Amino acid sequence: MRAVHYLNQFFAGLGGEEAAMSAPARLDGAVGPGRGLGLEIAATLACGDDYFALNEDAAVAQLLAWIAELAPDVLVCGPAFGSGRYGYACGVVAREAGRLGVPVVAGMYPENPGVLAAEGSAFIVPTSVGVSGMRDALARMGPLARRIGEGEQLGSAEDEGYLASHQRRNEVAAATGAERAIEMVLAKLAGETTTEVAPEPADVPPPAPVDASGVLFALVSEAGCVPQGNPDRLPHHRASTWLRYSLDGVRTLSAEGYETVHGGFDQTAANLDPNRLVPLDAVRALEDEGRIGRLHPFLYTTTGNGTATATAARLGQEIAHDLQQSGVEAVLLTGT
Amino acid sequence: VKRPPLELTTVRVREIAEGADTRWQGDGVLQIDPDALAALARAGGDEVTVSVEIVRPGDAVRLVHVLDAVEPSAKPEAPETTFPGITGEIAAAGIGRTVRLDGVAVLALADLDATHPEAMRERQLDGDGVIDMDGPAAFCTPWSGTVNVVLTFHANPEVELTAIDRAIRWGTLAVARTLALAAADAEPDEIDVIDLPAVSDTLPAVCVILQVASEGPLVDTYLYGRPMEGTVPTLLDPRELLDGALVNGAFDWAAIRNPTYFYQRSGLILGLLREHGTRLRFAGVVIALAYLSSATEKARAAMQSVVLAQQLGADAAIVTAFSSGNSHTDVMLAVRACERAGIRTVALLCETNGGLTDHVAEADAIISVGNEDELAPGWAPERVVGGRMLRAGWEASEGTALPFRSYLGANSQLGDTRLRAAVA
Repeated sequence: MRAVHYLNQFFAGLGGEEAAMSAPARLDGAVGPGRGLGLEIAATLACGDDYFALNEDAAVAQLLAWIAELAPDVLVCGPAFGSGRYGYACGVVAREAGRLGVPVVAGMYPENPGVLAAEGSAFIVPTSVGVSGMRDALARMGPLARRIGEGEQLGSAEDEGYLASHQRRNEVAAATGAERAIEMVLAKLAGETTTEVAPEPADVPPPAPVDASGVLFALVSEAGCVPQGNPDRLPHHRASTWLRYSLDGVRTLSAEGYETVHGGFDQTAANLDPNRLVPLDAVRALEDEGRIGRLHPFLYTTTGNGTATATAARLGQEIAHDLQQSGVEAVLLTGT
Repeated sequence: VKRPPLELTTVRVREIAEGADTRWQGDGVLQIDPDALAALARAGGDEVTVSVEIVRPGDAVRLVHVLDAVEPSAKPEAPETTFPGITGEIAAAGIGRTVRLDGVAVLALADLDATHPEAMRERQLDGDGVIDMDGPAAFCTPWSGTVNVVLTFHANPEVELTAIDRAIRWGTLAVARTLALAAADAEPDEIDVIDLPAVSDTLPAVCVILQVASEGPLVDTYLYGRPMEGTVPTLLDPRELLDGALVNGAFDWAAIRNPTYFYQRSGLILGLLREHGTRLRFAGVVIALAYLSSATEKARAAMQSVVLAQQLGADAAIVTAFSSGNSHTDVMLAVRACERAGIRTVALLCETNGGLTDHVAEADAIISVGNEDELAPGWAPERVVGGRMLRAGWEASEGTALPFRSYLGANSQLGDTRLRAAVA
């Protein structure tokens, strides 16, 4: 079984922060933590954390080319512990290798941004936040990687101790949906309620109203409102991202300047007057009258159409985080 | 006065052969005359021309722009009543003898984007309608396992879409009827008399709340030949559903709409009929419009569905969805209204990337029919039937992976397929 290991500059022995701009390097055999995995490591690939962050496309292209050439049975990334830059690089490399069909095992602290960056492509072993958990992490990553590299089908995240990807993947059930529904309804009538979907997300209580005079105020919308021509290609349904456009010096959303790309309603009336999607005209008037403090100079926009509740929650959290960073205290959220 | 039973006569078809006329050869072989069927499907009008071909399981063929799948079915004692309201005169479906061909589907294909690009752009019909007869994604669609009589409709660009839509539906059902009539005198493989007798009222009463969408030409559902748009929830005898009263005319989101074939041989309806009198009492079917445009309309349809379920004496309801996003709110409202009235519910729903688009606390029993957004394995077919380009934007012959939502019937919210989503 052939393994390839990915490390950052520090763990690969290239140097500390002063070597963080190291370009991707290919080293023979196991290096550093790789020696503790108990695997036959054909090569160790390394990249400086800052180099990766600043030259992601180039770094990924080089690393992927080596991975394709080495054709490993399994790729091991990290462990990156709580390190954000290292973890992110591990996550991206894992995701891209996964798309090539290479099985990946990584090690990270569960809140490392690399976990999300991997987009479910890696079996991620949860580690401590600091390197003190190295021995434990390697002892769990090595055997897991060996089994995966040998083609074994792993059990559930819970049974095997890797982080659940939370991705809902298709499987072929033993019975049709109809057959399962009839059994489920009979069981429920007999007092045994089961379900096949993730539990309903908890309701978030709405915040108390604020006195808007004097506060920094922002406009947020899921109406798919974008500058004419949709320069960033916001999708008309199932958006997984949000966008931010400057409102600096913009008094009104003119039909010449803005449009909606939302695919869930008839766009005709909205495109005649995009202020009806995002009421910038009215908010500017309130600002002039002093009834709100000041308008945050960005429009936050996405398409809320066919979006899963979990995705919508993530978009909301990301937007809220950005608003908080900017000191925004009140938001007008328009829906369609 | 008790309603007479439906007598479902099933003839199994092993193979379809081409010949000089359309007739039953015997020994599981149906002979068809493709030219005559093409002429029949065209119905002498100028809306469409039709090509007919046979496509079999294992063929290296991808069918694209598939609008509907229909099981060959006819009323041999009164052929003029088959698919009442469309190819047939108005008569109650679900009574008397029906002959149906098992193992065969009539598939309607039409690349309307190619013939009517502007009108189709305006309508924003979403998603591809694909069936792979072989390859790694074939498993997800039921018609990779049937011998298919494929009708490719070439629409006349001069004729407007509403008339094209009508012509395609008529032609497809006329062919389905003709094929079944050809086997009307064949030795049946199975005769199923569906009688719905009165049974012990100590058994729990279960009804189905079957939601459909009907939003205009190309996105309609037809009840006895009339689009359901604008109608209020109503009751159907389960046997009407199996016997051609309900016909699909919605051609977007292939995996999560209900092709006519799923109504004709609904596993949910047949399963409840099978359990009737043993573990439950099948109380009936409420058919309700969903994908409604306003909160008031959604709440009204949910409320009226529950009133009907109460009239049926239901202890429980199985709620099915049509399409996703918007329509899942209609399901959630029906579930909530039922549960608040003490009617226990199970809903069948597809998931999108990340889960459900709506979810209420009362919906505590849900069948997942799979994640429609996951990519199915890619496959490059040797031959493509039905058009050149996919709505996805690339050539249909390419091996680029398509999401499961592009495959006809893959995530059946009536429960006719086996996909389920689970945490990976």
